[in-house]
Amino acid sequence: MAEYKLLTKDFGADALQTLKGYERLGGYQGLRDAFKKFTPETLVAEVKTSNIRGRGGAGFPTGMKWSFLPKDVFPRYLCCNADESEPGCFKDRYLIDESPHQLIEGLLIASYALQVNTSFIYIRGEYHDQRLLLERAVEEARAAGYIGKNILGSGFDCDVIVHGGAGAYICGEETALIESLEGLRGQPRLKPPFPAVKGLYGQPTVVNNVETLCNMPHIVQRGGEWFKSIGTEKSAGTRVFCASGHINRPGNYEMRLGTPIRELLDEECGGIWRGRSLKAFQPGGGSMQVLMPQHLDLPLDMNAVQEAGSSLGAGAMIFMDETTCLVDVSMRLVDFYRHESCGKCVPCREGTYFESELMHRLESGLATQAELASLADICSNMDGRCFCPLGDTATWFVMSAYKNFRDEFEAHCGAGRCPVRAQATALVA
Amino acid sequence: MAETGTPPEQPDDGRVGISIDGRELRVPKGTLVLDAATEAGIHIPIYCAHPKMDPVAVCRMCLVNIEKFPKPQPACATVAGDGMVVRTNLPEVTKLREGMLEFLLLNHPLDCPVCDRGGECDLQDFTFRYGPGISRFPITEKVHFKKAIPLSEHIELDQERCILCWRCVRYYDEITGEKEIVLQQRGVDTLVTTFDDRQLVSKFQGNLPEVCPVGALTHRKYRFVSRPWDLQRTASVCPECSYGCNINVDSRDFEVRRFASRDNPLVDDMWLCDRGRYSFDRWNSSERVRRPVVRSDGEPRDVTVPEAITQAARRLREIADEYGAASIGVLGSSASTNEELFLLERLARQVIGTPHVDHQLDAFEGLSAAEHELGIAEIEDCDALVVLGAEPEEQAPVLTLRLYKAELKKHARVHRLSREVSAADAVAAAAGATRIGLIADETNRAHAAEIATALGGAASVRRLTITRGINGRGAKDLGLLPNVGPAYASVTQTGMTGRQILEGLAAGDMRGLLMLGPNPALDAAGDLLERAVRKAACVVAFDTRPGVVSRYATVLFPGHAIFEKAGSVTNVEGRVQRIRAGLPPASATPTETRVLTSLAVEMGAVGWGSGDPHAVNRLLRDEVTAYGDAGNGGRALFTAEAVA
Repeated sequence: MAEYKLLTKDFGADALQTLKGYERLGGYQGLRDAFKKFTPETLVAEVKTSNIRGRGGAGFPTGMKWSFLPKDVFPRYLCCNADESEPGCFKDRYLIDESPHQLIEGLLIASYALQVNTSFIYIRGEYHDQRLLLERAVEEARAAGYIGKNILGSGFDCDVIVHGGAGAYICGEETALIESLEGLRGQPRLKPPFPAVKGLYGQPTVVNNVETLCNMPHIVQRGGEWFKSIGTEKSAGTRVFCASGHINRPGNYEMRLGTPIRELLDEECGGIWRGRSLKAFQPGGGSMQVLMPQHLDLPLDMNAVQEAGSSLGAGAMIFMDETTCLVDVSMRLVDFYRHESCGKCVPCREGTYFESELMHRLESGLATQAELASLADICSNMDGRCFCPLGDTATWFVMSAYKNFRDEFEAHCGAGRCPVRAQATALVA
Repeated sequence: MAETGTPPEQPDDGRVGISIDGRELRVPKGTLVLDAATEAGIHIPIYCAHPKMDPVAVCRMCLVNIEKFPKPQPACATVAGDGMVVRTNLPEVTKLREGMLEFLLLNHPLDCPVCDRGGECDLQDFTFRYGPGISRFPITEKVHFKKAIPLSEHIELDQERCILCWRCVRYYDEITGEKEIVLQQRGVDTLVTTFDDRQLVSKFQGNLPEVCPVGALTHRKYRFVSRPWDLQRTASVCPECSYGCNINVDSRDFEVRRFASRDNPLVDDMWLCDRGRYSFDRWNSSERVRRPVVRSDGEPRDVTVPEAITQAARRLREIADEYGAASIGVLGSSASTNEELFLLERLARQVIGTPHVDHQLDAFEGLSAAEHELGIAEIEDCDALVVLGAEPEEQAPVLTLRLYKAELKKHARVHRLSREVSAADAVAAAAGATRIGLIADETNRAHAAEIATALGGAASVRRLTITRGINGRGAKDLGLLPNVGPAYASVTQTGMTGRQILEGLAAGDMRGLLMLGPNPALDAAGDLLERAVRKAACVVAFDTRPGVVSRYATVLFPGHAIFEKAGSVTNVEGRVQRIRAGLPPASATPTETRVLTSLAVEMGAVGWGSGDPHAVNRLLRDEVTAYGDAGNGGRALFTAEAVA
């Protein structure tokens, strides 16, 4: 088994979602250890030592992000980003479904390290059941004294508030999340100032992903050095990868970082289904560039994948077999960005609209060569010019697909219909 | 110390060195790259940036290349750093500007032929200068929204034309402090609207069409009226109140079609109130006094100007000889120019020799030069503003915006207290402040003086008093008052107030009246004005419209409306501002200053010159030092010792 179960070790155990079930298996010992063995400052240092990088997509070193908070400014806030909306990504839902208390414990440990007395969990509105589960878990934790005043006699106060979003991918962007939490339109803010300096309600704020926080009890109990020893030099620890697409066993798999992608596909996912072969795959969710079969030998490592021209992003692996039309996939992804564009800046708002209209024409075989050529030009006017990364990433997959499957794209021009799907239908029949 | 070969450190003069397209300049720390570029004479196109609002960087038009930055940066939101190298003249920048404009034009309706903004539209202008030459291909229907939505009696909204620069939303947040326009929906479906489809009720809606860079928000009163190149533009001052907002009078075919703002950061700060902005139509009435008239035994005769002057001089002389100079009253107007008032005062006290000079009906106690110490822009320097009553902001609405600016940007506390607030309560409210601005209406100046004294115990206090009429302040500065002369100098004999003059005339105790009109203060006189002019033996009057005065005046001279003549007017803070002729006069009669001069000469005055308004202005500046020091656009300040 290539899996390394750290966060997911006890998943499936009896009543793990309840406080009793979680405590029975050692839950909240991490929080006790944090109070006993660490001061806020040494705890931040320990997280820095662990080399853990954010699990939300950007992969920014967590300890470094924590150290950006100005020393003497209070109050501070910590927001857990549970807005998981990246296409192909469903690990945070899994983590919350299976063990909501692990997240809460990690959130409390981080709050202690950052000296935050009010923490928020911003969970996407569509995760209705998960939100109820979290709220119930928060109440259990509060009743047990893990949330509230003078937690475990430590002198540290912390309240946790669960807040549901209303259906916007953009609210996964940290400043848009903060805006939404404040009750405003969920649109990103101008940076600088950065949230670490002026975030929620104008106060220093840290936004961390669900999985990042779930690691905290383990880092506290087993140490930063131990955590650093797992994985690779640039990517420490494990990550939960969401494997989906044309594979035999889609699902969530926690892998030691550094494992070759091939192992994930072949050993955990059972390889490409129906005896077919891999055509292309996306390693990091809807925003990331496409990779080719030869890239399966790459290790699950942020830097290695980056050098190959893509990114591990939020850990969502989508595998596509030979019947897949890359134009079709690109079209669906571009539609996603058009739907989710917040509308704040011109290039994203109008660009995703333009892209989307073009891609529909292309996939239905109505576009001309000139229109296809202009697609690259439109994308070049968006990438690097938008207010926030949403507009930039709206171009990455389609441009990488065009580069790697140029013939396929060009074959669509004037074809009257999608040539790949026509061929595929013949294949399947 | 060894020679290191590095240049000596620049002394910290609070500036940074930046280079834009090869042009080197030093700008104050904190300057935005956009503003530095303007200083260097380099144009950067912008939509969402606005000189009076915080940057939002949403339109992405101002992206420029800055060395060491991997991506182009928005000039409107990037602070100039020492040693920054900025380039706007690169193919990368040219291409992205074309790209942004192409994106904007994707869903923008082809309304130019019917859009009021055509000819003064930033989208048109930047597309011409920076945009793509042709549209690529219309592969889809544009996204459609509602058009021609009346948001109020003044403003029309066209949602399709909106380019979502957010200026209108931010205008309310940052300038007026109200909440009327909101964004709804998301992505390309985002639109600008009012909450719950409510109507706008702000007193400052008229600034919206100017804030909007395209034709999404337009004036209903200007709909389909003109193209900007058909308008004749004259710089002047808004005549609706004493605040002195600078405006551009845009006329076409000799009718005023609109007032536009003319940014003066010291007065209006680019904003006009709706009452003033939309009052322009008042000046287009064709009901005007067009010819001089002389009445003999009640019968009117059209006469030439020289004859009218001769008759006026003769009849005033006769009355003075028979009943004494003090039987003649002289009324200036708060709607007259400084030049006219200056001459009228001289004519009254030096040529005719009467002490009865005024411009309003009643005297308001407590007149002093100290009541005008605080300049409008200086409101922002106060840490507390105390406003007595509702009148100041009712009379001069734009004051509200300056108060909000002080509150929002300078964190001043604004205390709106009752007109009659007790000294104790005022002191309690302003406790802790050290630089207080006290603002009151001129009808409340005596009480304001008391409050100022009480507050002065713990802080420095400066006052601003709101006067009436476009030149109510000038009328006081130039001595059109019974108890002070020009520059608040004392007079040998105190005269009657305006009301007393009219009552004297109506009772037959006074015989003659020389008056400049129109005079808005006389509207409150009721029928007293009519009784006075009917009973008076001789009324020499200037007026613009037919009315009581024109019906009974012995000698009537056609007056020039405020946009038909040159001159200067003084606002609440003593700022002397120039008005200009933008419309032809409604009569062939020379302007008031010339007629008054000829009248004075006819009555024996010497050395008065021609009466040309510019010459009178120079004379006035020589005679009244404060006005000489103020020049054109500066504040005329009198020492606190100059007291009534």
